[in-house]
Amino acid sequence: MTNGTSIFLMIIGVSIVSLLPRILPVALLSKYEFPEVLKRWLSYVAPAVLGALTALSVLAPEGDINISIGNIYIWAFIPTFIVAIKTRSLFYTLLVGIVSMAVIYNLSIIS
Amino acid sequence: MKKQDLVEGIKASFPIVLGYLPLGFAFGVLATEVGMTIFQATLMSVMCFTGAGQYIAIGVLQAGGAIITAIVANLLVNLRYFLFATSMVPHLKDIPTGIAAALSYGLTDETYAVAMTYYQKNKATTGYVAGLNLTSHAGWIGSTLLGAWMGTLITNTDQFGLGFALPAMYTCLLVFVITKRSDVIVALASALLCLIVGYLIPVSMSNLSNIIIATLIGATLGVFLNDKRN
Repeated sequence: MTNGTSIFLMIIGVSIVSLLPRILPVALLSKYEFPEVLKRWLSYVAPAVLGALTALSVLAPEGDINISIGNIYIWAFIPTFIVAIKTRSLFYTLLVGIVSMAVIYNLSIIS
Repeated sequence: MKKQDLVEGIKASFPIVLGYLPLGFAFGVLATEVGMTIFQATLMSVMCFTGAGQYIAIGVLQAGGAIITAIVANLLVNLRYFLFATSMVPHLKDIPTGIAAALSYGLTDETYAVAMTYYQKNKATTGYVAGLNLTSHAGWIGSTLLGAWMGTLITNTDQFGLGFALPAMYTCLLVFVITKRSDVIVALASALLCLIVGYLIPVSMSNLSNIIIATLIGATLGVFLNDKRN
């Protein structure tokens, strides 16, 4: 299965299906003036997607939903969220998130 | 293209690149573990800029699955970018269509949220989008190469907290894109919906279609919310 040709075919296939949804709307719709209600709808896409992505990445870090005190992602989320709101800086949020996780992970191994 | 815009875009990409480092690195490691060469792993990150999709492809290879499975799964995972790209279109009026379309190659969850935050106060320019998207992509490619090349040396990146890079990035980007009360309600509703859909339809968790369902319903809810801007 993992011979060279099939891997190249897979890369090309994945490339096409990942590029088309990104490029087509911009290529085809750029001269089109959206109606106001559609613009409003589209303005909610970002909060909706990021709400979903954040929830999944914290509450289902391994792919299955895990809402328990044993889920260390939830503990790391708390300081990260506070720093994100206070600083509005991607850099500091990442820093605090990664350091919090490192500390919590290593503490959870010891205990 | 103004140099100042380009520099601003490149600067805005640095935190994204930082977040991609562990993710791209891990992809490089995993890719070589399932039998891809360093060249193939890196090529994949050049031609496909889709973190989740690339991890899925690796999973399919590992399970000995068919190539078409990896491609169909990737189509589902990447469908949300259709929404992203469409919602970005009204902001891109000043950029020539061909260039805007070509630069959309570099559209990801992260570049999207950072750019949309920027467009709240600034106009989109070729320089800014090029700086942001191309540097982010270069970071993704570079970290993949690094991971594929020296992957076997580091086996457990969890102890360095790098597993939280992506959740931390999403958390911050979520805070960025929320500008009014209805945004909060939409984000919470969408978060809850994607968990419920994922719980009821487990397969949607692995192909991320629960995100698309939650987004469609969440954004529709937003339109019906009666809100005043800020």
